[in-house]
Amino acid sequence: MKRRNFLKSICAASAVAATVSPSLLLAKDAPKGGNILSYDAAVAAITGGKAVTDSAKIKLTVPEIAENGAVVPVKVNVESPMTDADHVKAIHVLTTKNGNSRCADVMLTPLNGKGYFATRVKLGGTQDVVALVEMSDGSFLRAAKPVKVTIGGCG
Amino acid sequence: MAEARKSMIKIKPKKFKVGDTVKVDFIVIHPMDTGLKKDKKTGKIKPAHFIDSITFSLDGKPFTTMKVWETVSTNPYFSVNLKVPGKGKITVDYTDNTGEKNSKSKKLKPKG
Repeated sequence: MKRRNFLKSICAASAVAATVSPSLLLAKDAPKGGNILSYDAAVAAITGGKAVTDSAKIKLTVPEIAENGAVVPVKVNVESPMTDADHVKAIHVLTTKNGNSRCADVMLTPLNGKGYFATRVKLGGTQDVVALVEMSDGSFLRAAKPVKVTIGGCG
Repeated sequence: MAEARKSMIKIKPKKFKVGDTVKVDFIVIHPMDTGLKKDKKTGKIKPAHFIDSITFSLDGKPFTTMKVWETVSTNPYFSVNLKVPGKGKITVDYTDNTGEKNSKSKKLKPKG
């Protein structure tokens, strides 16, 4: 290999490494299937470009201040009759600033009886927790609440 | 890697009738490693190890399926509702990113 080509390739490789490494720390160990990391990308992947409306139908319960970011309880309640014609199809729990913004996708059926889901998530810092809800008619609803985190839980 | 993990299904409230909506809580002991943390003993970064899919089913018929990422806390807890159609068996199957598969089941016994 010529010296010029060699130097060129090194430059290119280091440039790629420099741009990729800080933001994609998670991607290195990403599982098969590939994680969608940023919040905007995650929302786009879920909705497929459809409009998302903020809705009062969703009741999102999160603590205002979380002392420990490693364990933040999240509860989502969606008003819905849960019949075959009109039910909550999916609840997506997202965060805005985590390395990987997706937490859980929950596919519900009318057998659930209520549009309810609860879990505990990790938060890397102060940010919003977002519940993105897909109804059976294909519309998307959204509710977001900020959580203050004193000690991050993703490092 | 097919070790049995400690897990638990709780149905709340304890007494319920056919047609009631009950909470089904599922808790499993799992590290949920993000792939970012260092092992304190060895100083090496622990590889990502987390549950990535969960299926709740009643008598073999799934009623809730979940896709989960490493951003869910250690020893995760998931809670969903179920409208009780009658006697049956709730089964929760879960898989993690290393391919480890486990399941846990509990009988559903409505009274009256």
